[in-house]
Amino acid sequence: MPENAPPTPEPTPPGMQIGVDTWVEQADERRQRRTGVGGRISHLWELLPPAGKLAFLTPAIIVPFLPFMNEANLFNYGVFILIYALLALGLNVVVGFAGLLDLGYVAFFGFGAYIYSFLSGTHHEKGHVYTHHWSAQYSILLAVLICALLGLFLGSSSRRLLGDYLAIVTLFFGQAFVIFTNTTDPYGLTNGSNGLANVDPLNFRAFGQTLTISSVKGYYWFLLGCVVVVLIVLWCIAESRTGRAWKASREDPLAAEMMGMPVNRLKIMAFSFGAAIAGLAGSVFAAAQTGAFPQNFSTQVLILIYAVVILGGTGSLTGMIVGAVAIIVSNQVLDSTSPPNNARVIFYVALIAGIVLTLKPSWRRIAVALVGTAVFGLAVHAIVDAVWSRGTAGQVTSGGFLTGVIRHFVLLPTNPGRLAVYGYLLMIVLIVVLVQLKGWWRVVAYVPTLYLTAFVWENLLIQNPAVTRYVLFGALLIAVMTIRPQGLFGTAKVEIV
Amino acid sequence: MNPALSQQLRNLAGLGLGLVAFMFYAVYFSPTQGWVFFFQLTVNGIILGSIYALIALGYSMVYGILKLLNFAHGDVYMIGSFIGFGVLTLLGGPLSPAIPVALLVLCMFVVAMLGSGFLGLAIERFAYRPLRDAPRIAPLISALGVAFFLENSALLLFGSQYRNYDGYDLISYNGIHIGGDSGVFIQYLGVIVIVGAVLLMLALLGLVRWTRLGKAMRAVSFDREGAAMMGIDPDRVIAATFFIGSALAGAAGVMFGLLFSQIYYLIGFLAGLKGFTAAVVGGIGSIPGAMLGGLLVGLIESWAKGYLNGNVSDLVVFGILIGVMLVRPSGLLGTPALQKV
Amino acid sequence: MRKYVVAALAAAGVAALATAAFGSTSSQSRTSAAASPATASVTCGKTRTIGLAAPITGPAAAIGNQQVRWAKYYVKRWNAQKANKNKQIKVVPGDTQLGVDTAFAVKVAKSFASNSKLLGVVGPAGSQEVVASTSSYKGGGLGFVSGSATRTTLTDGHTDGNRRGFFFRTVPNDGAQAPVVANWMTQKLKWKRVYIIDDQETYSQGLADGVQKILAARGVKVTRDSISQTDSDFSSKIAKIPSNTQGIYIPWQLAPQAQGFGQQLQGAGKGHIKLFGSDGLFAPGVWKIAGSYDSAFPYNPKDPIVTSYIKAHKGNGEFFGLPSYVAAQVVVGAVTKACADGKATRAEVRKDIAKTKLKTTILGFPLSFAASGEMRAPATFGVFQIQKNGSFSRIG
Repeated sequence: MPENAPPTPEPTPPGMQIGVDTWVEQADERRQRRTGVGGRISHLWELLPPAGKLAFLTPAIIVPFLPFMNEANLFNYGVFILIYALLALGLNVVVGFAGLLDLGYVAFFGFGAYIYSFLSGTHHEKGHVYTHHWSAQYSILLAVLICALLGLFLGSSSRRLLGDYLAIVTLFFGQAFVIFTNTTDPYGLTNGSNGLANVDPLNFRAFGQTLTISSVKGYYWFLLGCVVVVLIVLWCIAESRTGRAWKASREDPLAAEMMGMPVNRLKIMAFSFGAAIAGLAGSVFAAAQTGAFPQNFSTQVLILIYAVVILGGTGSLTGMIVGAVAIIVSNQVLDSTSPPNNARVIFYVALIAGIVLTLKPSWRRIAVALVGTAVFGLAVHAIVDAVWSRGTAGQVTSGGFLTGVIRHFVLLPTNPGRLAVYGYLLMIVLIVVLVQLKGWWRVVAYVPTLYLTAFVWENLLIQNPAVTRYVLFGALLIAVMTIRPQGLFGTAKVEIV
Repeated sequence: MNPALSQQLRNLAGLGLGLVAFMFYAVYFSPTQGWVFFFQLTVNGIILGSIYALIALGYSMVYGILKLLNFAHGDVYMIGSFIGFGVLTLLGGPLSPAIPVALLVLCMFVVAMLGSGFLGLAIERFAYRPLRDAPRIAPLISALGVAFFLENSALLLFGSQYRNYDGYDLISYNGIHIGGDSGVFIQYLGVIVIVGAVLLMLALLGLVRWTRLGKAMRAVSFDREGAAMMGIDPDRVIAATFFIGSALAGAAGVMFGLLFSQIYYLIGFLAGLKGFTAAVVGGIGSIPGAMLGGLLVGLIESWAKGYLNGNVSDLVVFGILIGVMLVRPSGLLGTPALQKV
Repeated sequence: MRKYVVAALAAAGVAALATAAFGSTSSQSRTSAAASPATASVTCGKTRTIGLAAPITGPAAAIGNQQVRWAKYYVKRWNAQKANKNKQIKVVPGDTQLGVDTAFAVKVAKSFASNSKLLGVVGPAGSQEVVASTSSYKGGGLGFVSGSATRTTLTDGHTDGNRRGFFFRTVPNDGAQAPVVANWMTQKLKWKRVYIIDDQETYSQGLADGVQKILAARGVKVTRDSISQTDSDFSSKIAKIPSNTQGIYIPWQLAPQAQGFGQQLQGAGKGHIKLFGSDGLFAPGVWKIAGSYDSAFPYNPKDPIVTSYIKAHKGNGEFFGLPSYVAAQVVVGAVTKACADGKATRAEVRKDIAKTKLKTTILGFPLSFAASGEMRAPATFGVFQIQKNGSFSRIG
């Protein structure tokens, strides 16, 4: 995503905006919106901030592509994007609207999944047989309600704790959930590390009719419906009294309290609301996976949800959708079951884009860096070929149309092993050095760094796509945060002095 | 008396009472064994706690100065552990060391501390410095990014298999018996860990208390802008803090490897979590608090493992700590956050 | 102006998604429009594709990669044979990240199921992964052969769902191993006081439960405890073990953990207590506490295949992956047989897997499958003892 196109209501200059209060500035606009009672729905679209429009647009544009997607892609991209979007929307209420750092959020996801699995499925555990085949609407509803109650419970700890202390208590709550579900209890409710299997698909039974959702496509549509409904509800809430009170207490709890807002109650409400959405996501997830296992709710999952929220921009609804798309797609493209050549093309394009961005004003420098690398590479390749022929005799790993270029440019030893490892270390050192350099020195340093990067990519990274994906994911998180700390769709904080 | 200080004293008194009560309970009412068992667990807990304390120090120092939770800290510790292993392997391995063992161990510590120290510097430079003025949550995510990056780089570089320090073979299987052959037993390895940790902590306390750098660190931690106006370069002080904290984590990594033998690319996560817990319990931002917290976490874990069956020690540790947090939100030795209006 | 920016962004996002989704399987989506890969007949050609689901990253990567290397080792040997020049096998790996999130196993299963070239699957590794991904494999009509999912209820047809005709395993289930261990403890070693420590994983709990039941019935004093796979400090657990205990049963999967446990046991002055491990710990050179016992398949470590593997992997036997080698053997054999007429369907491959008959395997016994997907009777266990030099020698 280009960082120069922030579709925020106010184009904020980089850094802080001092002395401007957008809230006050837009007061008239909002007052107008309230008076238009009759034409409210027809005006809704006009009144939506651009971000909100995008939130509706994105699913609308994705949907027509569906018939062309095969089941695996629909599941791996579509269903997971929507589940994470749903989770992110819920977390956004807690973190984005109310500004509370909740690191136990993933437990609610888990509670939702376990409650659904328990109520709609058959389990044989430790001699106990549980056969409840509740209709999906009831078990989902109960899961959501219980999660909301648990949210109230966890949220009440925020009465005493602030900031990072709240974060750690909630983190333990999440950890405790995983440990608890992993340990077998005498009644076999969670079935320990075996998890709950044999979970029903979504069976909606009413008036003697049954609507069953069991195909990937069905789950996709159902989740899409959930996301749209949650989006609309959240959008309404965000603009309501409660929503504004949340934001006020996020910015300054003390001032909010002074204005007569029940800050504690607001916080607990936010927790409860987020938890309910997570419970919804969890129950659908359990049905789609036909089971619930302790591992589904580990800290890794929490990290992914947070990555979606932060990348999208806390507080922005559109951001959650876009963030989920970006995170899931970037994770899945580099999956070991996807053809490595896609990852390769993306990698080289990103590399060149990175150079262009960092050296931007001067086209001359960009040209020098790129041409220099090309010449340098060919020269090195030729020299090594002459001196040590084994150094260029290796195979290109599943190369597509780039095979020929790579063969004559990158060193490919027959058995890279240790050489690639040293190359990786050297590459990191070179990047560290590169950042410290300025001006033309930096351009010069680009040449060997780029070449080495290509070498490491071809000899080490592309051989282990499953690992590489997380290395790049980590680098991506750092880069995005450095370039745009408020996330893609977030608003830069307004500091009132 | 200073109210914060008296609060801390009360906390400590409460903690002491709790510990004594637990000791009597454990010795007189526990179904298993008696004094010896209790003290054996305590010794084990102190050894484990020294490692946690070293990790917690890094967390706490960085938090004190930047108000930042450095989630990548556990992975710095993991890398330190691998560096120590690399030195060990280069110098002949545990069974046939090329140089005297004492020197070898010293080498491992020094190289690992330097290596992790520089890693900490690089992390600070790349992941945190550009975010100095960003919203609080941004560096948290960039820390997660660093953690992902380090863990998986380690997987790429060192492979997925476990590596064995074989610390017992390197040093000795023997130890000191206190109170006869059936009494409490401390391995020499454990002694090395405790002594090493105490030395490092004393050095740190001395550094913070008596050197110019220490003074600058305290000043920046108290008020960064004010310190900058007094001519202290906060960037340099912050970098130094990262270096020291990471070096301590590296030392902890080597201790872990020596004591528990097998290291792996994911050991950082759990250790980081425990260190973080220790830092918070002790009062995040407080150096003595981190030491106390580390010790406490180690002890609780050890006791829980000894007195309870099954794998519930983590649950107990976290449960007790949630309790502590709810009663004393700012930790045992932390100063309650003053809200400025 | 802003509208255009938003529209451009949206278009870019959608385009990225679409290219990613279509690009990654451009060839597959075309065929899927014609017929579902579950029933389609595939033209085999010179290269046939199989899937390999294993934890390549995540906490179980240490054992997962052993499976990957062993399975790929079989395929490499197969492809190198002259007779198989036109029957080459291509392996598509899938990272299930056991221990992180079973959702990854499901994702891998879905990818395999809709990859129309793919005819059979080796893996997945964990029992819960098998449970979670069964419906995806069944939906795709794929047969899958696991080399490490040992939970007994996987094949009983109802407790964890029915997967007959789809799921097979080249590893004996937990039920077969427990009696061998218990018999050895009570009859040969005459142990009266035994400590059992599981590692909280399905595999381990199953074995520990089984052994505990039999021992308790025979009047042995059994104490039960648990650790977790992420533990490395055992000192406090060890402090609890009475010195007069005769043996500790540790049915774990991570051999380095057993090694650490043994060293700490020795360090605490309790080195005289013998350890007894399970097949998950059969790792010569990693677990090397001399005098310990281990139950495992009656491997022949001198088998030329095993020795050449060890040579190629810097002396590591990585025996945890052996059943995956056999799983690859089964799947490749079935695919080749189904492809004899130049075309194959997944149903054919499944039938051929079920009909597999191998006279010898490197597991040390002949192999054929019962209808449930289990191996037939001769899947016995041997008992080994660790020698001073770290090697495992068979004693029963």
